[in-house]
Amino acid sequence: MRADGRTLLGPVSLEVEEGEHVLVVGPSGAGKTTLLRAIAGLARIDAGNVAIHGQAVSEGPRELVPPRDRGLGFLFQGGALWPHLSVRRTIEFVLRARRVPRGTWPARVAELLELVDLLGFEQRKPGTMSGGEKQRLALARALSAEPRILLLDEPLGPLDAGRRQSLLERLAALQAKLGLTILHVTHDPGEARSVADRVMTLERGRIVAGDQAQGALP
Amino acid sequence: MSRTLVLFALAVLFVAGLAPVLLMFARLSPGDLATLLDGRTLALLGRTVLLGVGVVFIAVLVGVPFGFLTSRTDVPGSAILRPLGVVPLVLPPLFLAMTFTSFLDVSGAAMTILVLGVGTFPIVALFAGRAWRRIDARREEAAYLVGGLPAVLRMELPLVLPAVLCGACLAFVFAVNDFSVPDFVGFVGQKFNVYADEIFATWQIDRIDEREGRAVATSLPLVGLTLLSLLPALALRRKGALATVGSDFQRPAPLALGRWRLPAFLFCLTVVAATTAAPLGRLAWEAGGGAQGFSLATMQRAFATTLDQSRDQLGASILYAVAAATICVPVALVLGHAAERARYGRFLEWIAILPIAVPAILFGIGNIVLWNHPLTSSFFRGGGLVVLMFVGRFLAYPFLVSSGAVASLDRELEEAGELAGAGPIARLGRIVAPSLWPSLVGGWTLVFVLAMRELDATILVSAANGTAMFRIFNQVHFGRDDFVAALALLIVFVAVLPGLLWTLFGGRKLEVLP
Repeated sequence: MRADGRTLLGPVSLEVEEGEHVLVVGPSGAGKTTLLRAIAGLARIDAGNVAIHGQAVSEGPRELVPPRDRGLGFLFQGGALWPHLSVRRTIEFVLRARRVPRGTWPARVAELLELVDLLGFEQRKPGTMSGGEKQRLALARALSAEPRILLLDEPLGPLDAGRRQSLLERLAALQAKLGLTILHVTHDPGEARSVADRVMTLERGRIVAGDQAQGALP
Repeated sequence: MSRTLVLFALAVLFVAGLAPVLLMFARLSPGDLATLLDGRTLALLGRTVLLGVGVVFIAVLVGVPFGFLTSRTDVPGSAILRPLGVVPLVLPPLFLAMTFTSFLDVSGAAMTILVLGVGTFPIVALFAGRAWRRIDARREEAAYLVGGLPAVLRMELPLVLPAVLCGACLAFVFAVNDFSVPDFVGFVGQKFNVYADEIFATWQIDRIDEREGRAVATSLPLVGLTLLSLLPALALRRKGALATVGSDFQRPAPLALGRWRLPAFLFCLTVVAATTAAPLGRLAWEAGGGAQGFSLATMQRAFATTLDQSRDQLGASILYAVAAATICVPVALVLGHAAERARYGRFLEWIAILPIAVPAILFGIGNIVLWNHPLTSSFFRGGGLVVLMFVGRFLAYPFLVSSGAVASLDRELEEAGELAGAGPIARLGRIVAPSLWPSLVGGWTLVFVLAMRELDATILVSAANGTAMFRIFNQVHFGRDDFVAALALLIVFVAVLPGLLWTLFGGRKLEVLP
């Protein structure tokens, strides 16, 4: 993938097994976010393909399955929370978009907020919440579409050490409970190593090291 | 972005804003173009450029220090002085011309430049003030530690310069396209003949079968000049030179002026007194009897009579302005969003601003040519045409405000909505629009004010003869000073009201800049 004459993401071959937690580590500008965006369908690739559960979702620049139908949850770097919506409305936004019957919303909202330990925060807006609470809300939003795959873009970035550990443990518990596949990118080599099944290193848009990685293509 | 929505918005833009312009240009013949480079046309071009440059000089000279002092310093009363300084922008230029020609024994070029300079300096002040407010406190403190206030100003001027340039370009565009000021100044004193006036004269004098092409030919250099002036403004905006604040932005504390505080206050007070208090005071004085003897009872009677005699015109003006603003905002949001997010955005930007690059008079003529046919005669005579003209003429402003606001909106907010399963319309209506609320209200207010004070585009269109501004234009030539002044004050009051109400009760700032 190229932009402004610069390669954002080189040829990368990456396969993630169902239920795996794969950590991709790399310095700033290595292409980590671009990799996640390409998988989610938010950025177009020039060549190659992306497949989810064996089904091709992108072939070169051609989008075969739109982002919303890829069964993905995305935890954006910085949260990307909607500042005008309360916690409850944020979750309801997703439920409405997914055409979940309205009668089930209260129970579903409560269930999701309990999962991320935000019960009691229903009326709060992102601007009034701490960094950790915002990340948990972003996680609840990502989970409310019932994804099978979770893409995490530097999810621990804005948190202090204590909250990082707490969120990691919560992610691990959720993964076990919901059977999620997680692709997690970070610039911090120490982050999430304890919970990841595999660690790969991305540099200048290419995977240069990794357990069981397919490696870089020429 | 939903293609259907964009196509619908483009259709509105085309019918209301582009069709009248394109139709006029299609009527150009080689014969019309023959006059383009003759001595008279070149002299006209020279005078129009002189007008624009003179206006920009005044606007920058007053606007930059006023914007700086009221936005970034501890000058006393800045919270009141800042909004008062914007009032000349709300006042129809004709009112400013009426005031200044009665105060000062100056006419011709000097008076035209002065009036339009006063009317446009708030644009520069608004741009400069916003740029100054968006300089991060840490940058400023770093400069302050090195060399105090002079070092702060040295560091900040290059950062503010693009915004000042942008404001100056818009002031130039407003000035060279204005018809009412040179027309009125010429009516009461020495004439300063410029393009906008010439197009009007060409349309009135020429034979009906020849005048369309000649009016277009007359305007061509002005269109080129306007597009050239908009070019740097758009380029600066595209490059993000108008300063977008990041999420870790730290608002700077007001700069302490020390012993310069009193002179700075006097400067701001003088500006507000000369550009806001004087025109409004003069109108109030005229409404109260003026030279025949001022009294509050006379003023009361003048307002009662004016309301009685002009209720229909005022009502029509408000109705047209509300309708135009209400149509413009959603269309501008769709186009502004597409301009920022779609691959064809830059092209869209150019076609959206085309109607403001064409002189208002020519735009009005285009509408006459487009709609004055047997099939559309009932529409041509009705208020619908006036609303359509206002939409076409002013859509560019909320478009620029919306697209500027979309540019500063984190794209990931929308992407999160997309991944959640929300379609383009849901994302636009439930994520983008609520996040841009101050800009959308700002765009609405901008169109409302511009439509309330509009005269140039509608002056030749019979359907618009029922507006309050047209009534004033007619009456100034018949010496009914108290009536004109009272109606002018009522127009100003109505024009200011929505913005004032939002500022007082809306709880959030009004965003009117791109």
